[in-house]
Amino acid sequence: MHPILLIVFLPLLAAIIGGLGNRGLGNTVVKSLTTGALFASCGLSWMTFIPFLAGTAEASVVPVLTWVHSGTLTFDWALRVDALTAIMLVVITTVSALVHLYSWGYMAEDPDQPRFFAYLSLFTFAMLMLVTANNLVQMFFGWEGVGLASYLLIGFWFKKPSANAAAIKAFVVNRVGDLGFMLGIFGTYLVFQTTSIPEILAAAPGMSGASMTFLGMHLQTMDVLCILLFIGAMGKSAQLGLHTWLPDAMEGPTPVSALIHAATMVTAGVFMVCRLSPMFEAAPVALAMVTFVGAATCFFAATIGTTQWDIKRVIAYSTCSQLGYMFFAAGVGAYGAAMFHLFTHAFFKALLFLGAGSVIHAMHHEQDMRYYGGLRKHIPLTFWAMMAGTLAITGVGIADVFGFAGFYSKDAILEVAWARGTELSHFAFWMGTIAALLTSFYSWRLVFLTFFGKPRWDQSEHIQHAVHDDHGHAAHGHDDHAHHDAHGDGTAGYHPHESPVSMLIPLGVLSIGAIFAGLVFAPPFLQSEEFWGGAIYYNEALLHAMHGVPVWVKLAATVVMLIGVTTAWFAYIKDTSIPGKFVAQFRMLHAFLYNKWYFDELYNFLFVKPAFWLGRQLWMRGDVGLIDRFGPNGAAWVVARGTLAAKRVQSGYLYSYALVMLVGLVAAITWVML
Amino acid sequence: MEFQASLALVAPELVLSLSGLALLLAAAWGGDKASRLISILAVAALVGAGFLAAPALCNGASGPDTLAFGGQVKVDAFAAFAKLLIYLAAAASLIVAPAFFERVKAMRAEYPVLVLFAAMGMGIMVSAADLVTLYIGLELNSLAAYVLAAFLRTDERSAEAGLKYFVLGALASGFLLYGMSLTYGFAGTTSFAGIHAALAGDMSKGALFGLVFVLSGLAFKISAAPFHMWTPDVYEGAPTPVTTFFASAPKVAAMALTMRVVVDAFGAQVQAWQQIVMIVALVSIVVGALGAIGQDNIKRLMAYSSINNVGFILIGLAAATQQGASAMLVYLAIYVAMTIGGFVAILMLKDANGEPVEQIAQIAGLSSHRKVLAVCLAMIMFSLAGIPPLFGFWGKFLVFQAAVQAGMVPLAAIGIAASVIGAFYYLKVVKVMYFDEPANVAVGKSDWAHQALLAICAIFISPLGYLLTGWLGGMADKAAAALYFVG
Amino acid sequence: MESLVVDLSQYLPILIFLVIALALSAAFVFLPMGVARLTGTHKPDAEKLSEYECGFPAFEDPRSQFDVRFYLVAILFIVFDLEAAFLFPWAVSLDMTGWPGWITMMVFLFELAIGLAYAWKKGALEWE
Repeated sequence: MHPILLIVFLPLLAAIIGGLGNRGLGNTVVKSLTTGALFASCGLSWMTFIPFLAGTAEASVVPVLTWVHSGTLTFDWALRVDALTAIMLVVITTVSALVHLYSWGYMAEDPDQPRFFAYLSLFTFAMLMLVTANNLVQMFFGWEGVGLASYLLIGFWFKKPSANAAAIKAFVVNRVGDLGFMLGIFGTYLVFQTTSIPEILAAAPGMSGASMTFLGMHLQTMDVLCILLFIGAMGKSAQLGLHTWLPDAMEGPTPVSALIHAATMVTAGVFMVCRLSPMFEAAPVALAMVTFVGAATCFFAATIGTTQWDIKRVIAYSTCSQLGYMFFAAGVGAYGAAMFHLFTHAFFKALLFLGAGSVIHAMHHEQDMRYYGGLRKHIPLTFWAMMAGTLAITGVGIADVFGFAGFYSKDAILEVAWARGTELSHFAFWMGTIAALLTSFYSWRLVFLTFFGKPRWDQSEHIQHAVHDDHGHAAHGHDDHAHHDAHGDGTAGYHPHESPVSMLIPLGVLSIGAIFAGLVFAPPFLQSEEFWGGAIYYNEALLHAMHGVPVWVKLAATVVMLIGVTTAWFAYIKDTSIPGKFVAQFRMLHAFLYNKWYFDELYNFLFVKPAFWLGRQLWMRGDVGLIDRFGPNGAAWVVARGTLAAKRVQSGYLYSYALVMLVGLVAAITWVML
Repeated sequence: MEFQASLALVAPELVLSLSGLALLLAAAWGGDKASRLISILAVAALVGAGFLAAPALCNGASGPDTLAFGGQVKVDAFAAFAKLLIYLAAAASLIVAPAFFERVKAMRAEYPVLVLFAAMGMGIMVSAADLVTLYIGLELNSLAAYVLAAFLRTDERSAEAGLKYFVLGALASGFLLYGMSLTYGFAGTTSFAGIHAALAGDMSKGALFGLVFVLSGLAFKISAAPFHMWTPDVYEGAPTPVTTFFASAPKVAAMALTMRVVVDAFGAQVQAWQQIVMIVALVSIVVGALGAIGQDNIKRLMAYSSINNVGFILIGLAAATQQGASAMLVYLAIYVAMTIGGFVAILMLKDANGEPVEQIAQIAGLSSHRKVLAVCLAMIMFSLAGIPPLFGFWGKFLVFQAAVQAGMVPLAAIGIAASVIGAFYYLKVVKVMYFDEPANVAVGKSDWAHQALLAICAIFISPLGYLLTGWLGGMADKAAAALYFVG
Repeated sequence: MESLVVDLSQYLPILIFLVIALALSAAFVFLPMGVARLTGTHKPDAEKLSEYECGFPAFEDPRSQFDVRFYLVAILFIVFDLEAAFLFPWAVSLDMTGWPGWITMMVFLFELAIGLAYAWKKGALEWE
């Protein structure tokens, strides 16, 4: 049996057993089962990945089952293993296994743990199906599977209205993208007469420049297909325009955010573009769009991240921004760089999320950074893990000596964007550079607000509840204020505790990844065509040009990082009144950023309200007023009336019976005479 | 020589009439004390007649060899199929009767004799090859039936049922006779084959009138709407064993006779009667369904159910194909089993004093104290509604299939849609039995004969019945082939 | 439709007949009344307005009940009456129907005899 089968299907098996067994099996059994399956899957994934690193592995396809054979439409279930897949396997199974382990601690008090773990495993299976797909339809299966799992997990606490709303929003926004993806798949099949990815990629260069006519317009075939596919990627990867669901998705439990909304699912769009890179290379307009959208998202999300107070939302916007980096890297042709950033980002962003989860856990589910402060001494291990993540995301490092993970990948992206040398790529470079400054600022802002300064916990309702629960309601039920006034040090008498070992181990493992992943894996990802083995489009010339960029370009990222950290230090440590003054000075700008560029409001006005109006019309007028009235209800009414009539005719009098017979006879005669 | 051959062909009728006459005398001299013995002998006579009729079906008899008395009677496989069903139904209504009548001290020896004569009349109906034979058979059956309906002389409802049936039956008879005279006037003959030959080609208005009148008279017998008005009152008023008989055997006979008339006599004018049959079928389905919904008496409900089912059977006739005829025969066989089972179950609903329970409200929660009975009744209701996997579905399926293959998709579609309305009241009975607060009324003990009959019917309509589809379909195909035999 | 019109036109004499009959009978009823009103005096009283039929008012409801035994006897009579009516054509055509005809009639008579025996045994022929 090929190990890939175990890698993919162990999580499914665990999800099925755990999900169906649920409470019948009990918490411990389901948790052990799913976590065990994931660690096994993870181990096998690394064993698959290492031969690719060593350059000894060959790409292969493992058939599973016949799926559809209908006319010329033929595709089967099959698992594709090449360098690109191997990277994703490692990322997915590693983060997933660690998140499973982490959830032992984080979800310890939840009454529904088996369901949670089953969903996590189900998600992992769907994600693995996506990345191992050998045809577009199977990829779509995984694509929708992760969407489903994401919906279920965002709405895991389904008693919270906000969680349900967020789940629905994520699903609906993704539908928009998925429509594009579906049209892309249909179009691809129409043009290439196959859904098999290798066959499409082999034929793609030959289709470059081909045009088609649609509604009287002459369109470049490849551009149309790739733009449609990219719209799908935009939805899944929360790119500008279709990003609105991602921040709201933070309503889900934090491990979910780490796994789905940071490391794996949201990167599916990037993966898809890289997987289909030869296709995109034949579509210059689509590539330009990828570059532009990526660069714009990278900048836009970073600006919002600087103003948010919710610790998870900051990281969510950061994710959005980092995904933008990956996309414009792909857009300028550096698919290897994009995948490399995806790889390192998975480690440090999962780390940041899990670290934030640890903070939230310690602070009794308080997520607002305004009520944090001074946590460094109370939860030191979490602090150091978060430090590792922050150093990685901000790209701290010295060229040719040592750097944290993000240093290698982000610098590579910026350099390649400059090296590409087009106007658009230069635009992307500048956007990326500004975003790097902002990234540094908001990341350190997060760290300073959370771990440095004085405790500001007494304002937090969550903390107050926690304190009261500790001390008992009977004694302190009435006088909240008298209580925390007594301490006066801002702690409200609350003592945060470091998270349990099950949560700290994943933090430790991911910290190692965040620190060393860049150093170790930069050479194969960025400079080895043998490593990729044709899994992605490899632009040799571009990589050579990358080494020849001016020194200021190479230093730019580091410089802006330093500016960012310094600004954050001044604003949140040195003189904490600066942010307030800044906001007072630039009230409009702050409101614009704080309200996320008013995207939600705009969409609400443009789409949601009209859609609700239309829906209500269709419901009240169309469904109730027309279909129900003349359908089921009308039929029932007619039947009831008919029954009454039948009863009335059946009077019991002989003469009326005879009359009916005669009328029937006359009617029959009239009928035949006509 | 020819006379002897004719006598041999009508052997079942001879057996029935001779035993009927003998039993009549026995009834006169033996009195009501002998009624049980006479019942047993009557059942034996029916079984004997059945054995004499069966070979014609098994051989698939058809053609000139089956004609008797100079073409007046046609004893082919089709007649044999119908006769077997009739004899079975008549025997069943004899078996269930004693337990019912003895309770009210009204078991009279004339009951089995009347049933025998009615069965013989129906036998003549289904083998009629001439308008006069048709009428003799019909009236022989009807006269016995009028008396049977009023069999509980002292019961007001029974007397009312008998009178209504008689008056309206006379009216229908008038229609029929008038139609027959018109047909004879325009065709110049009363023989079916002669009418077929005479009316080939263009049909005159008078003959068309005759056809409509004849069909109306027959529609009364099968209680197809709008000639169904007597059905609920008579079914409710007549003693339940008699209702069992009315709902089963005469339906088969009249339906078979209708098929015979439209195929043999008016087979050249399909387009003339097809539309009438279609409309009558749909009206019957709808009226039966609508009428049944408002009922609270289960016998009345079964009456409307029979009207509804007749509508479905007529869809097979509207198809006007051999396949349709075969489907109708299968449906009739299943319908007889469902009806007998249903009425036997109703007979078994008795309160603590042994009084019959007929109100649907009174069988509320039956499943809690009469589990097996409730299961059987529920199965019968589901089967009547045509819900798979019960056998009732198969009959409906076959007639709809025949209609579709005859190119009458809209008819089949409307029929299927209307059967949804029908499902409502059948399911209501099941709901009352299973989900309502137990009324604890129907607690009386049942007769073993009832239990045995119900068990047989229940097994037949259960999914096990599908084991018989091949055999039953084969027989029906033979019978239908004989009906459509052209020689 | 055309044939229907032609058919109807043949009923025209009957229609004319009906119209004339209606007119004449109306004249016979209303003409004396009108003449009487114009020529004579008009002084109605109770006796003048009472119904006039055969000289005296009805004594009882004409729809009186018969004893059910009359019906029984009548039914039995009809059966044998018809039997007699049936025997005449049979008798004159016996040379054509031959033995089968003879046997058939004998069976018929036998059945009637059984019916008679049943009715006799049941006491249908006894008046009291």
